[in-house]
Amino acid sequence: MPTDTTPQLEDTLYIDAISKALLDEMRSDDRVVLMGQDIAGHGGAFKITRGFLEEFGEQRVRNTPIAESGTIGIATGAAMLGMRPVIEMQFADFISCGFNQLVNVAAKMYWRTERSVPFVIRLPGGGGMGAGAFHSQNVEGWFLQTPGLKVVSPAFSDDAYRLLRSAIQDPNPVLYFEHKYLYRREQSPITSASIPDRIHGQAHVLRKGDSVSTISWGWMTHKALEAAEILSQEGIETEVIDLPVLSPLDPQPIIESVERTQRVAIVHEATITGGFGAELAARICDDAIWNLDAPVRRIAYPDSPAPFHKGLEADRIPSVERICSELRRLVTE
Amino acid sequence: MIDDGSSAPLSSDRTDFSAAGFYEAETDAQDLVLLEMHLYMRLSREWDLRFEKMFKTGALSKWYSSVGNEATTVACASTIDAGDALLTLHRDSGAILRHYLDADQLLPGLLPEGMRYRNPLDGDSKQRLLRLTCQMLGRDAGFSAGYERSYHYNHFEEEHGLIHIGMISHLGSMIPVAAGAALAFQQEKSDRVAINFIGEGATSTGDFHEALNIASVWKLPFILIIENNRWAFSTPTSQQYACENLVDRASGYGIPGIQVDGNDPEAVLAVMNTAVARARAGDGPTLVEAMLGRQRGHSEGDDSLLQVPAEELEQYREHDPMSLLEEKLIKKNIASQAKIDEIKERCADLVINVVDEAMSMPEPEVGKPRRIYAD
Repeated sequence: MPTDTTPQLEDTLYIDAISKALLDEMRSDDRVVLMGQDIAGHGGAFKITRGFLEEFGEQRVRNTPIAESGTIGIATGAAMLGMRPVIEMQFADFISCGFNQLVNVAAKMYWRTERSVPFVIRLPGGGGMGAGAFHSQNVEGWFLQTPGLKVVSPAFSDDAYRLLRSAIQDPNPVLYFEHKYLYRREQSPITSASIPDRIHGQAHVLRKGDSVSTISWGWMTHKALEAAEILSQEGIETEVIDLPVLSPLDPQPIIESVERTQRVAIVHEATITGGFGAELAARICDDAIWNLDAPVRRIAYPDSPAPFHKGLEADRIPSVERICSELRRLVTE
Repeated sequence: MIDDGSSAPLSSDRTDFSAAGFYEAETDAQDLVLLEMHLYMRLSREWDLRFEKMFKTGALSKWYSSVGNEATTVACASTIDAGDALLTLHRDSGAILRHYLDADQLLPGLLPEGMRYRNPLDGDSKQRLLRLTCQMLGRDAGFSAGYERSYHYNHFEEEHGLIHIGMISHLGSMIPVAAGAALAFQQEKSDRVAINFIGEGATSTGDFHEALNIASVWKLPFILIIENNRWAFSTPTSQQYACENLVDRASGYGIPGIQVDGNDPEAVLAVMNTAVARARAGDGPTLVEAMLGRQRGHSEGDDSLLQVPAEELEQYREHDPMSLLEEKLIKKNIASQAKIDEIKERCADLVINVVDEAMSMPEPEVGKPRRIYAD
């Protein structure tokens, strides 16, 4: 059942929306327990759980040793027996150390045994801060090929708040990708009227246009909106679609948009080969290829680890300028 | 701490034996415990022998045998209660049968009348055994409805306190999950415990370390039992670890480690009672290393037993826990050879009948959707 307890908050930082969602779920459900490295006294690497230890105590705000696999496995067992663990990966990149627990133990549990595993892993990810190869990755694609996991990637404070609360209430393992670049740069109202108790597929048309469609999530949605604004002054009207939920995917708004604009670019920060853009492109080709006037374009990170130097990194992350030039080319093809 | 468990209490304080009856000769509480464990060990042995035979005749595509592990698994499961969590591998049929089944329902008259050392779980044992057998045979009525093989399943009957979480193929992966069950028990401030079996090979995984370390730091009510049968598939212990005893690692986690003769159910029972009591009291996990001998290959028909030198294999067969216990029962005049033969025959019949019944049960319907996500 959806809960109707959402406050209407003006101009909330993305990072505060995450913190507030955690706080509200912790207060409303004592099965929710937080686990992560340095989340207790220190409040987490990004201070998202600052003050939680004082309010909820060490039983519910648990510092873990540096043991991603062990932590995810423990969360799995605890979730199977009625708890609602929320794990903070200090950085999304570190999830690789818990890969087997996630994709083999947790993700397959329901299909194998019909025992649900209701936990959430928060994954601070993404680049733009010169943090190097192990603190900048966008690893959602690793998990989108794993049936049994739900994957969300909010771009706005409202989605960040709503999706985290829904994720905690959902009876399945949910990966919640939060973008570090947006933590203190995205600021917008929390307006959700109610909180669904499940994660459903969502594709939001944020801006209407008839020249070309873009599909993006996380930080890239902000860039797509910026590009759309610039191109509008040139007479190119971009339809911007945001995917706050990647799995389960809601393909219908994508297909409808592409049928109308007949041109589409997928913008993602993750590396291009085998990325989720390839899957979206394939689906568009499956369902709407005869409506297309131009090939599906992918605007993504090249197949490269993230360099430390900000200039080297910026050269790889899709920029507003690059999105504009790719879209200009697309509309003339 | 390495302790042979000799000082540990043998009897559970949860059962009053004063009402226990007698058997062949006058039976005291300690004898009754042996008789109870013997029955489940024999049932487990017959269970495996039946499935081994089915594998040999081609009636079953794969089997992992529990032969040789029965003393350890039955004794361990004899120390937990309704509400506790059991996490098993593919050599733990003894623990599963012990935990699931009420011998008085399935094999009436084989145990002396009166109190039981370990009270059976409530519920319909016959139905549970049938579903378990269907699970082994991939039938629709199995716990995973044919989607998962043999021991790769969970079975929960929370109304009867049955919490059983099976394995995945990645050995060692369930150690953290077991610790997680223990966390849930700690969080609810109950005195429930989680026990988990692994082989000595899985002690080499990262999950062994990570889970034991977290469980120790958080003082989780968790007992990890290593069934050390000296061979992991074809790899001997000399190529698996360089410490003298795996149980030596316990001190590195700041927890007790107890090595025990895994072929001796009384010894295993004693160390497990100590470990379970410690966990229930909130004092944290224990690492138990049960020393066993490999009597079967990794899986049936895979030739891995050929790696075990003949004289070593002979030694393990000489120390077969089933034969050792039966000799002891006779020698101590706890049970007669005739009684032991009767138990064997009744257990074998039970298994044959339930396997036949399961074989006649419906196979899974092909094309029926299987949900990947919980609603």
